[in-house]
Amino acid sequence: MTAILIKALADLRRRRVQAAVIFLTVFFSMGAGTMAVTLMSQTRDPYQAAFDKQRGAHLQIGYSPKTDQQLLAKTPATIGAAASGGPYVVNSIQFRFGDRKFDVQAIGRDDPGGPVEVLNVTSGRWAHANDEIVLTRSFAELNKISIGDRLKIVSVAQTPILTVVGEVVDIDEGSADLSSQHAWVTAAEAPALSSYDSTYYLMDYRFASDPTSAQLQASTDRLRASLPPGSIIASLNYILVRSIFNITNQILTAVLGAFSVFALAATIAIVATLMTGIVISAYREIGIMKAVGFTPSQVVGVFALQIVIPALVACVVGIAAGTLASQPLLANSSHALGLAYEATFSVVLYLVLLAGGLLVVTIAATLPALRAGLLKPIAAIAKASAPRGTGGRQLRRVAARLRLPRAVVLGVGEAFARPLRAALTLVTVLLGVATVVVAIGLPRSFLLINNSETGAGNYQVVINRSGAIADADVMRILNAQPETSRVVAVGGKNVTIAGVADPVGTQLFRGDSSRLGYMVIAGRWYTAPGEVLAPAGLLHDAHIKIGDSFTGTADGYPLTFRVVGETYDINNLGHSMFMDIATMASVTPAPEPFQYEVALVPGADVSAYVRRVSALQPDLLDVHAADTSIIAPVKIIDTVLLVIAAVLALIGVGGVFNTLLLNTRERIRDTATLKALGMSPRQVMVMVAASAGLLALVGGLIAMPVGLSLHHLLNDVISSSAGNDTPPSVYGVFSPLELVLIPLLGVVVAVAAALIPGRWAARTNVVEVLHSE
Amino acid sequence: MTELVRLTDITKVYQGGVTGALNGVSLSVEEGEFTAVMGPSGSGKSTLLNLIAGLDRPTTGSVVVGGSDLGKMGEAALARFRRDRIGFVFQFFHLLPNLTVLENVLIPAQLKSTASAEHRGRRLLEQLGIADVTNRYPAKLSGGQQQRVAIARALINQPSLLLADEPTGALDTRSGDQVMELLMDLHRTGQTILLVTHDAKLATRCAARVISVLDGKIVDDARLETAERAAADVIRVRGEEARP
Repeated sequence: MTAILIKALADLRRRRVQAAVIFLTVFFSMGAGTMAVTLMSQTRDPYQAAFDKQRGAHLQIGYSPKTDQQLLAKTPATIGAAASGGPYVVNSIQFRFGDRKFDVQAIGRDDPGGPVEVLNVTSGRWAHANDEIVLTRSFAELNKISIGDRLKIVSVAQTPILTVVGEVVDIDEGSADLSSQHAWVTAAEAPALSSYDSTYYLMDYRFASDPTSAQLQASTDRLRASLPPGSIIASLNYILVRSIFNITNQILTAVLGAFSVFALAATIAIVATLMTGIVISAYREIGIMKAVGFTPSQVVGVFALQIVIPALVACVVGIAAGTLASQPLLANSSHALGLAYEATFSVVLYLVLLAGGLLVVTIAATLPALRAGLLKPIAAIAKASAPRGTGGRQLRRVAARLRLPRAVVLGVGEAFARPLRAALTLVTVLLGVATVVVAIGLPRSFLLINNSETGAGNYQVVINRSGAIADADVMRILNAQPETSRVVAVGGKNVTIAGVADPVGTQLFRGDSSRLGYMVIAGRWYTAPGEVLAPAGLLHDAHIKIGDSFTGTADGYPLTFRVVGETYDINNLGHSMFMDIATMASVTPAPEPFQYEVALVPGADVSAYVRRVSALQPDLLDVHAADTSIIAPVKIIDTVLLVIAAVLALIGVGGVFNTLLLNTRERIRDTATLKALGMSPRQVMVMVAASAGLLALVGGLIAMPVGLSLHHLLNDVISSSAGNDTPPSVYGVFSPLELVLIPLLGVVVAVAAALIPGRWAARTNVVEVLHSE
Repeated sequence: MTELVRLTDITKVYQGGVTGALNGVSLSVEEGEFTAVMGPSGSGKSTLLNLIAGLDRPTTGSVVVGGSDLGKMGEAALARFRRDRIGFVFQFFHLLPNLTVLENVLIPAQLKSTASAEHRGRRLLEQLGIADVTNRYPAKLSGGQQQRVAIARALINQPSLLLADEPTGALDTRSGDQVMELLMDLHRTGQTILLVTHDAKLATRCAARVISVLDGKIVDDARLETAERAAADVIRVRGEEARP
């Protein structure tokens, strides 16, 4: 064993560049894999821990303010809930802080504890007086509101001032940048914050064990059946909240998982290429080893160890780096849930990863090394090196017929001289280029979706109306502004649909909503009241399709809808409907718009418009420029994608570099002969670069459809996880020129990578090489 | 006759070498000469050839071939020089295994971007008696055939100087004789040839001038009138016993 180790270490010192290539590829693949596995294994735990600790509500139901409170008191028994909270009075309120205005759902509640939905007060205290309010920590941190700050409530005419006295973590809310937020006031204060059509009762229910989706739906159905029609106006269950909470990590895990497999595949290809190259170039050495007494398995061991030793170091360092890199994401999760962050380490997990990584690398190294073990000593000594690859002849002939320069012709043939090596190199190039395609495409797809959700370019100003100012007054103000080109007013009212557990949120438009930029995946935009569009999630769960008519109820009033199109909406994981506000004309009280999306005439000064309209009603109107910025989780995913693409592109370049190095070393005698015959250093470099360029071009051309398919697939997975189908326009984010340029860019990078072996070959000392023969 | 090669006071010391491979060698070769450089292994004869081919640079001294001072040339210029002016025949042929016979022959011309080389290449193969193996790969040829291909390759650009480094060293006697006959035929057409060999008989049989090198120095430079005299003279210089 000592002899094997000594020989392997000596060889390793001699092959430092190859050891470095192995180290880097294994390091990156293990790092990405560790991140994916760590996130995967930890994603659910923080939420579940916090949910259990805070006795989270499995089901939350919003009841109409007209509902009899005595009936509400019986609802826990109706569904067999083990514990319940409420009814709490909830009001949608708008408050002003500094020069900004915010909307929250203010819940009247006197105690943060209780048998269900315990609120974790992370700083300050609970509200005891009527002029006090408690905010979620996520909301306070996002908007830089501190304990002691005073908020002016502008949604009611009295405009009371409330002081922030505490911050809490609510297990049933997403983060403030992703979802609307709750706030808490005393139960006595709640009625004073009520405004038109903004008040409801909230009940929290917790069951003895975690119910399934079907059980939750059955419970909601039982509640609906036990109460007058229209009593249930909203509901939320823990499965949906958990999904929303986990969606970023889930997408990240999917992306990281996919690409760690990619990186591992690239590593296998590079290891196998390297090992075949080492064996081929060491025939004489193998013969001598056998002659002095190495057994075939010891010879294999010597060669395999040259790969396994740097791979072992890379695995250890990669696992450590992956673990460290995943901690900030886990810390975010813990912080969002109000849990104390504890760095997560799992020795068992790391040992499994280490063993798995090493096993894969060892197999990839050992299989080609078996050739060394099987060689007959005398044949190995006599031949000195393996028979030269004879592939690439046809290719070279084609290149010669095209009358390309001879150096290019020779390089082209060289690229495929050893078909297996060329194939393995193509795999690394393919994976690198395909990942780059995804890393370029997905952020663009996200941007398109983001633009459709935020109306980027379709309106410039957004105004939120306080309940204290009438819709007509807002419209009068907006229409009076000379820069106003178009106003689309937006309201909302939950609709109960048979077969769908939770009431479905709606976007009720007044005005030309077809120009807001929402994506129509199939069918068309609505043109008349009663026509609706919905995302795939709702269409699927409600078992309806385009062209179908169905009924629903809003505040107990029956309504008939006809689906005319499928749209994209990530809110509530695809459970929403878009329609004309007139569709709900029969509902009493009729829903009114609360938001106004204003398109300005070309060239209008948005800031001046915002300042002027805001100044007209500083308390009652929240006027701001349309925010089209990308949400934080998407930015994180974009960044991770970029890093992964860079890593795999590097691995791809490493693969090409490695192959060129092996080819150049193996062909050194030919290169020396060519130099002796008059090939100039520049021609030698062109020859090596042509070899690299062809490999990159072929790899790139194969990679483009693979990358586009992967982009397609990931879009589908991500859209599906958000309850949507992928809009066709989201697939087509590459211009024809880019489809050509991306593989060409790969060629340029590969040619640049060829400079080192090319220069090395160009500097070959002809005399020394030919003399050594 | 015009001087083609001039070596002036050449020394060559390899890295780490205590003694030089060449020590103060001066030499001149005329156009049209068939010169043999003879000497035992390690005498410095191959080094001499490599310096004339521009494959290596002297430690001191100058190498001028066809009026060009090789010491003043960069790597690219030296490559052009070899391509345009030198034909090189190696002991171990050094054919490119992935190229056919014809492709091997055409390589120097193609590196030079000579458009009409194929016709000349085929004619050379015919002249050298290997036209029937034009499309074969080197691995399928005998040693003698491979060396003929190497000679054809060396001649494709019509070099002013043909350098042959032990061209028969890897061949059997019969093939070696055939190759030497070829070289002599070429000389008769006016080709300047510089042959390196350790075989005195071979040198005296073919060359009109035999330069003997020993321990990095020229110890004899014999211009011979007939082959018979040459053999005796040269062998005497080498201190060996003359045999008919």
